[in-house]
Amino acid sequence: MIPLLATAPVYGLPSYLFVSALLFAIGFFGVLLRKNTLVIYMCLELMLLASTLALVAFSRFNGTLDGSVFVFFILTIAAAEVAVGLAIIVALFRQRHTVSVEELNQLKH
Amino acid sequence: MTMLQHAILVLLLPLASAAVIAFFLRKQGALASWISTATAAAIAAISIILLLHGERFEDSVEWLRFGDFSVSLGIKYDDLAALMLFIVGFVGFLIHVFSLGYMHDDAARARFFGGLSIFMFSMIGIVLADNLFMIFIFWELVGFSSWLLINHYHEKQSAADAAKKAFIVNRVGDFGFLLGIIWCYYGLGSVNLTELEKLTAGGAMPCSGWIPLLLFCGAVGKSAQMPLQVWLPDAMEGPTPVSALIHAATMVAAGIFMLCRINMLMLPEALNVITWIGTATALYAALCAIVQRDIKKVLAYSTLSQLGYMVAAFGLGSTGTYALIDLPVSTVATGVGAAMFHLTTHAFFKALLFLGSGSVIMGCHHEQDIFKMGGLRSRMPVTFFTFTIGVLAIIGLPGLAGFFSKDAILYLAYEKNFAVFAVLAFTAVLTAFYMVRVWKITFLGEARSQAAAHAQESGLSMTLPLVVLAGLSVAGGYSGVFGRLAGSVAHLVPEAEGSAHTTILVVSLAVMTLGAGAALFFYKSAATDTLEERFRFGFSWLTWLKESFDRAYDYYVAKVQQRFAMVLNFLEQIVLAGAIIRGLAGFVNLVGYGARALYTGSLHAYVFWFLLGAALLWAFAAGIL
Repeated sequence: MIPLLATAPVYGLPSYLFVSALLFAIGFFGVLLRKNTLVIYMCLELMLLASTLALVAFSRFNGTLDGSVFVFFILTIAAAEVAVGLAIIVALFRQRHTVSVEELNQLKH
Repeated sequence: MTMLQHAILVLLLPLASAAVIAFFLRKQGALASWISTATAAAIAAISIILLLHGERFEDSVEWLRFGDFSVSLGIKYDDLAALMLFIVGFVGFLIHVFSLGYMHDDAARARFFGGLSIFMFSMIGIVLADNLFMIFIFWELVGFSSWLLINHYHEKQSAADAAKKAFIVNRVGDFGFLLGIIWCYYGLGSVNLTELEKLTAGGAMPCSGWIPLLLFCGAVGKSAQMPLQVWLPDAMEGPTPVSALIHAATMVAAGIFMLCRINMLMLPEALNVITWIGTATALYAALCAIVQRDIKKVLAYSTLSQLGYMVAAFGLGSTGTYALIDLPVSTVATGVGAAMFHLTTHAFFKALLFLGSGSVIMGCHHEQDIFKMGGLRSRMPVTFFTFTIGVLAIIGLPGLAGFFSKDAILYLAYEKNFAVFAVLAFTAVLTAFYMVRVWKITFLGEARSQAAAHAQESGLSMTLPLVVLAGLSVAGGYSGVFGRLAGSVAHLVPEAEGSAHTTILVVSLAVMTLGAGAALFFYKSAATDTLEERFRFGFSWLTWLKESFDRAYDYYVAKVQQRFAMVLNFLEQIVLAGAIIRGLAGFVNLVGYGARALYTGSLHAYVFWFLLGAALLWAFAAGIL
């Protein structure tokens, strides 16, 4: 098996997973609590990247490329998604002059 | 052209005529009537060509196939079909000619003649069919054309009701018929008549005795046997030529013809039932005929009675088939011979009587009450003369057609079952009684109404068919004529010999003289019924008897069937529509209301639900749930 990095890692797998979980939790609570759509959007990205970090760590410590491949896909799709999402937010702001989710509650029963 | 092509032509010609009239000639009554009559003439000509050519054949093509089950359309032209085709074609042609005169001033002439053509098509289909499914198809078609023609004066409520009644009552019989056909296919694996004959050869019946009885149900409906006889008297609401063609000579005889076709499926027990139903119908209808005032109704009940004779003859004659298995086939089906013989002569003289009554009705400006006629002998000499021949033929005057065929049936009954013989002989007395009654009251004495006093003889197109039919009513019984028409069927007619011959001759002469003499001396040429005056009780009993069936059916429909339908309607409304259909919709609605409450429009609420979902998913994956 060919190691991906020549040097041995300084920290073990649990440390990476801990950071990843922490980032995910920060992102999640951001989505849950913040009111500005733009911030919620950034928190979503944070959750996405937290999972990416976990995948890279698994890939590194298992010595396979599977996780890294996933990361490439996630990055690609995230880039596309950001473009669409930001465009929607901009359009929304132009229309409603606000991006606060508390005021964007028209779609209900 | 081969004979097969002739047969196909004879089947398709009337269909073409009906189609042309229905699509193009609805407003041109004169042209339509001539096309229809020309078609009938062609049918008569071809049927005679086929009959005389002597070739007998059968052929079929597959029409539908579902897996192993196939329905074929085919033609079976044997001696039986040849005889029936001749009757339908020739009598049909004469009635078409008569209709030219009778319907001349009718506004809906095109519809009438189109109806006659579609009837000819359907009837010939039954006659030529080579399997039971095909018979059933055309069986329903004659039912339809009968409905169409009874309903000719549809603006009259009674005619509309009568047409509906005829159709619905026939439906009851046809349901049994269809069950019988399906059972026959299921039990014997075939409905082809020739194959059935092979399968049942030697008297061995491989399956149930219900098959002949169920098939007989069809004949009970179409030939108006008890207890489904109620539609035929009402069907007299139709124009008189229709009564002559459909409700006397051909369609009602189709039931008898069908029985003769399925002769090989018969079992002794079933035949016993058939015999008694026929006998009961013969007696019942003869009793009803005595108290009728309407000339057509008398003839209708007389038709019922004669059909009862034929059914009884069929039942009696074939009983010996399986009791005496080792006899050769020719002695087997004496019932078929006797029934077909009487069917033939009856077609001649009953068509004659109906057309005669049509001529009388026409002469009296659509007066049908015999007590308002009288004295027509001198005013309508041709009608009187031919009607008299018809009456003499039906009461069995020696030398006329009815004498021979009725004697054959009486002889058969005398040989096989004395009780049936006694009832049939008594019925013959009644037949002579009511026919002479009608004849005397209609034609003799003084005119009792303005219409009768100014009656005029009908035109040539109406009297000519009468004369031809009168000729056939005289000659039809002689073996020289019937033997040529019926071929091998004529050999099946039972002939009395020795002392039996004398007995039958004496009995038949006695009953005729008794009945005819009694009527001749009893009835006066008066405006009221002598029987009603002298024997009020007997008269009202007979009237009650006539109406009893209709009353019973009315009661059944109004009080039993209608209430049952109401219960079903209630169940349908409450249980099916209420609980199941609306209940299901209500439940879905309720779920919808609940689910709607979750849809708040707040993003944060959705995130909570997402969190809950993720937690559940995790719990499920971890094996906690």
